[in-house]
Amino acid sequence: MERAAGGVSYQRFPRVRIRELKDDYAKFELRDTDASMANALRRVMIAEVPTVAIDLVEIEVNSSVLNDEFIAHRLGLIPLTSAAAMAMRFSRDCDACDGDGSCEYCSVEFHLAARATDSDQTLEVTSNDLRSTDPKVCPVDQARAYQHALGGTEPFDTAAAADQRGILIVKLRRGQELRLRAIARKGIGKDHAKWSPAATVTFMYEPEIRINEELMETLTLEEKRNLVESSPTKVFNIDPNTQQLYQVVVEDAEAYTYDDEVIKKADAMGKPGLIEINAKEDSFIFTVETTGAITAYELIMNAITVLRQKLDAVRLQDDDADLGELGAHLVGG
Amino acid sequence: MDPQQPEPVSYLCGDCGAENTLKPGDVIQCRECGYRILYKKRTRRIVQYEAR
Repeated sequence: MERAAGGVSYQRFPRVRIRELKDDYAKFELRDTDASMANALRRVMIAEVPTVAIDLVEIEVNSSVLNDEFIAHRLGLIPLTSAAAMAMRFSRDCDACDGDGSCEYCSVEFHLAARATDSDQTLEVTSNDLRSTDPKVCPVDQARAYQHALGGTEPFDTAAAADQRGILIVKLRRGQELRLRAIARKGIGKDHAKWSPAATVTFMYEPEIRINEELMETLTLEEKRNLVESSPTKVFNIDPNTQQLYQVVVEDAEAYTYDDEVIKKADAMGKPGLIEINAKEDSFIFTVETTGAITAYELIMNAITVLRQKLDAVRLQDDDADLGELGAHLVGG
Repeated sequence: MDPQQPEPVSYLCGDCGAENTLKPGDVIQCRECGYRILYKKRTRRIVQYEAR
């Protein structure tokens, strides 16, 4: 669209470099774009990438110590494998069903039946007791245990895999019983946090650290040590390779938390300008962790898809002429 | 349901646990031990909740 004021294009071509990619964890660099784009991506990952979660619970029998609402809420928070969520329909715009749960396009039914028999042991009802009607959608622990049983590669943390007891829902004493039907639906984190696939999504500006070597030479070894120690995180170090010179080097620039401590220290030592730290305004380092509902890779890719859909919606609106105040800014600006 | 014939509801005694069947207007008191706190039983119907 040739619309930009004065014919100037503000289009940029961001680059992504993936540093680390595990099933539920990713670290990547996003470059040549601005904070608005990085933040949009972060917010979409947290609140707008769809997953499946239990949304309706029909309790037949509950003689446990927890009340119905409490159990329903706990069931809602269990992460379910949601690789198919992007292709599913939201139940509010599904016209193939009346929302009773027996619809293949928008919902998945679960059953749970547990009764503590007359032994003295307390029965722990966990996510492993949930029976799904769709093999694609099940509690993440179950999927993990299944993969483990198949002898396939262990994608998640092995320490967590060793502990395959599932997520505890309620404990039953002798004679107590819990029987219910639950319906899982597609949703987004904006509606309820139970639908958020993200455990952590953060980004930081890449720091650019410059040491004034000339000024640094005027420091004694003791002063250099104090300077290195002044940073609460291990950003600097004294280079062990430079014999007798004891040069101060940047060991890990990304460990810097923008706390200004070294800069204050340099000022206090009477050496202002010894160290200069700037945030590169067009470079971001993302850290992404998922709940296990979808993989970190799926989370990032789905977030980009969702973001593009939102931008398409804006573009279509623009074609329909009425942008209101925003249109005036675009033309007049 | 016929309004003239309200269905009797059974309650559990808070003290001895005996089952008591009460109709509207009845004295709220256990027939076994005379205790005056009675508990209503859980419905046999399926109850529906939003998991939020």
